[in-house]
Amino acid sequence: MAAKDESNALWSIFGYLLSGMLFWGGVGYGLDKWLNKGFFLLIGLLLGIGAAIYLVWLRFGKE
Amino acid sequence: MRTLFLLSGEGEGFVPPSSNDFELPPAFGDNAFTTKPILLVFLSVILVSVFFLLSSRKAAVVPSKLQFAGESIYGFVRNDLGREIIGHEFMRFVPYLFTLFTFVLTNNIFGIVPLLQFPSMSRVSFPYVLAIFTFIVFHYVGIRKQGIGKYLKDIMFMPGVPKPVYILLTPIELATFFLVRPLTLSLRLFANMFAGHLLLLVFILGGDHLFKGVLGLKLISPFAFAFGIGLTFFEFMVQCLQAYIFTLLTALYIAGALADEH
Repeated sequence: MAAKDESNALWSIFGYLLSGMLFWGGVGYGLDKWLNKGFFLLIGLLLGIGAAIYLVWLRFGKE
Repeated sequence: MRTLFLLSGEGEGFVPPSSNDFELPPAFGDNAFTTKPILLVFLSVILVSVFFLLSSRKAAVVPSKLQFAGESIYGFVRNDLGREIIGHEFMRFVPYLFTLFTFVLTNNIFGIVPLLQFPSMSRVSFPYVLAIFTFIVFHYVGIRKQGIGKYLKDIMFMPGVPKPVYILLTPIELATFFLVRPLTLSLRLFANMFAGHLLLLVFILGGDHLFKGVLGLKLISPFAFAFGIGLTFFEFMVQCLQAYIFTLLTALYIAGALADEH
């Protein structure tokens, strides 16, 4: 069972980080285009990574 | 480097392999359904079926070599991917996992089989279709097991978080389950097969081109061929690994959908 949990954690973490960046980075990019600014993409990416790491910690870090 | 290229091959420059090498013309006439990748996929279905029919026919207590080979592949998928990962309900999913593994493995290995030498999974549509199957299977299993409301609620709301934080986390969870999972599943397989085939093309076509050049370049070309052969073995490893990972992830997703809580 340990091997299963480990590989599950490995792939889930990768997925969370990717979708965190994709979603919130995408929102930031959209705001940039809409408001003609240049910094929302960066904020979105950082926010996405931060939230994804928090999610990883919630799911795998607590035990 | 430029002058070296010009010295070789009677003044014609070297044409490096590119994504154009993956767009093969139809094999028969101009029927677009008879391109090499499609024929290879059909061939793989025939090969896999024949192999496992032969190996399971006349099954004996003391297995023949063929039966042993068939049973070890089946045993590997059933025990290491099914039982180990999905748990006590695993038998329902073994047929799917087994089909997936043998199908992807055969199609990948076509990349290094002499004369065939084209991994059909390097055309992105095939991995897409497989990933869509997996996508449907694991969501269907989860919805059947837990009911659609509870299944979605489990995905969207991680327990133990203050309510406002859900604005941040829920989109990530949804994107993971409905977009990133099928996308990474198919693109990982596609990119590995694509890059592997390109790598072999570079060394083998490059070796061929050097061989047609002046004497100094002729002497270098065996090294390019040797590298090509070495990389072929490396590709074999990658092809097996990618087939394994595709099946492993499918099993993990199913296991996750079956689990009651996160």
